[in-house]
Amino acid sequence: MSVPQISVFLESRPGHLHRILDAFEGAHVSVRGYSASDTGDYGIVRFIVDAPARALEVLRAMGCAAVESQVLCLRLPDAPGELARVMGVLADCGINVAYSYSLISTYIAASVKDIEAAERALADKPVEFAGLDDLAPALDGAAWRGGEAR
Amino acid sequence: MTQPSCSGEARIDVGVKGAALAAAAAGRFGALPIYDRAIECASRERIRAIQLEKLIAQVEWTYARVPWYREKMDAMGVSPADIKTLDDVRKLPFTDKTALRDTFPYGLFAVPLDEVVELHASSGTTGKPIVVGYNDHDMDVWSDCIARLSQMAGVVPGDRVQMAFGYGMFTGGFGLHYGLQKLGCMMIPAGSGNTERHIAMIEDYGTTVLVATPTYALHICEVGEKLGYDWEKSQLRVGLFGGEPCPPGLKAEIESRMHIVCTDNYGLTEVMGPGVAGECLAARDMQHIAEDHFLWEVVDPETGEPVGEGEMGELVLTPLDKQAIPVLRYRTHDLTRVVTEPCSCGRTHARMQKVRSRSDDMLIIRGTNVFPSQVEDVLAGIEGITPHYRIIVEEVGGLDRMTVQTEIKPEAFSDSFEQMDAFRASVAEKLKGTLLVGVRVQLVEPGGIERTTGKAKHVEDRRKA
Repeated sequence: MSVPQISVFLESRPGHLHRILDAFEGAHVSVRGYSASDTGDYGIVRFIVDAPARALEVLRAMGCAAVESQVLCLRLPDAPGELARVMGVLADCGINVAYSYSLISTYIAASVKDIEAAERALADKPVEFAGLDDLAPALDGAAWRGGEAR
Repeated sequence: MTQPSCSGEARIDVGVKGAALAAAAAGRFGALPIYDRAIECASRERIRAIQLEKLIAQVEWTYARVPWYREKMDAMGVSPADIKTLDDVRKLPFTDKTALRDTFPYGLFAVPLDEVVELHASSGTTGKPIVVGYNDHDMDVWSDCIARLSQMAGVVPGDRVQMAFGYGMFTGGFGLHYGLQKLGCMMIPAGSGNTERHIAMIEDYGTTVLVATPTYALHICEVGEKLGYDWEKSQLRVGLFGGEPCPPGLKAEIESRMHIVCTDNYGLTEVMGPGVAGECLAARDMQHIAEDHFLWEVVDPETGEPVGEGEMGELVLTPLDKQAIPVLRYRTHDLTRVVTEPCSCGRTHARMQKVRSRSDDMLIIRGTNVFPSQVEDVLAGIEGITPHYRIIVEEVGGLDRMTVQTEIKPEAFSDSFEQMDAFRASVAEKLKGTLLVGVRVQLVEPGGIERTTGKAKHVEDRRKA
């Protein structure tokens, strides 16, 4: 199973990430996981959010360079060795992970070249796929203010 | 003063959005207005005769009234009587910025102050500003020049003109204001700044012409797009640009996004202000010099000797109609070439290539000469980046390092460091191919390069700091 990921081009300077997050907050977009990496001059910040279409709309309106792509999303039991086990399964299937980062709780997003092929390869393997619904807050919508906007 | 076309071609209504550009594209230049056909389309012989008559009078006027020039000419053994042909202008002394600075504020004035009706000054980034004065005659000449270049762009009497230049001491604001009023336009003196208000005024007042720096016009365009303003449906039809050089790529982008026709003009405070030369719709990279008001020379910037006809060199200008503060052979430091072949727009006045670089904005990077305009040209040819850029030069470990900051367009972004780095490397490679010196390229966010209402500052040389 895959989830949409929003990637944003950002200069590596104070306040630039904050500006994006402020805009997300204003649009009631909840961040379920993110990864920020840079090259010294600029960086790419990747987000998994509850409302990808709205997030992208907000970013476009701000004039940001942003794109949406799909990443594989897996759920891991919260136990020692689980990350190693899952990566081992992926490796055994010959799937290269370009980058990966953890989301809320024990979910990981992993970028692979061909998501459908990866899904087919992993279908009968001991990994658990996750979707956006699985990333919804554990407590029901009322517990966080982004809930009503979903 | 617009007159029917002498070619008998049916006039078109250039007041209709898009009509002027369409006529130009179809080669129907006879259908476009010319402000002063008798002068602007005069024969070369007639133009030279006017110039010689005015040059002789101007030198006499200057010699008789300005001690600074009299002393210079006496020291060189030249008197007004020595000026018998246009080539004799070479016997006269050059003038440069320092002459105006050294005589600050009124040392070069040729008329009593009570005859002066207006003062203007250049920004004066270093030391004292350059102050210039105008009497009624000078103001008439100035307005005449502005009216001509406005009609070259298809501005017509009755146009509603919104001024986005600051007024103040800068020559751009009032210079254009008076000239456009003389043409019969309604002026909307909005001034600089507050972009959203500018857009509201364009809509509310039905503005048809915008006067701005090209960078600020693009900013207004972008802000309007973000606000959802439909430029295609707007009554705005013409952009008159100035205050900074306008690269062709930037102009083309503004024309297509704002659905207007844009021209820019050339001028400098020291010889008058904007309006020395203006762009017609026939040869968009050239500008017609108002030759009955200015005598031009193109010289080798090193030796001051004339270069061959049509060759690049430094533009030297002698205003022929300037009473309050006459200037002889002003060294502009602007690099250009001038051609006198007839233009298909019908005008006969010589055309100067748009100034892209100045003899004094050349950067020396590790021994190699680099002009910012070269960087601009390379960037203009690359898909995926905006026309905005910045050059930073610094010394790192005893070596010059040049960094070019360029904005990526949203559509050029991909979620991959590999691709972004490849893109950055390709920009650096293209720059190196032209500049012949290694350049560090920095990609910045869309909108990341500061937009200015005045002259865009493209270069920051930290070595001198």
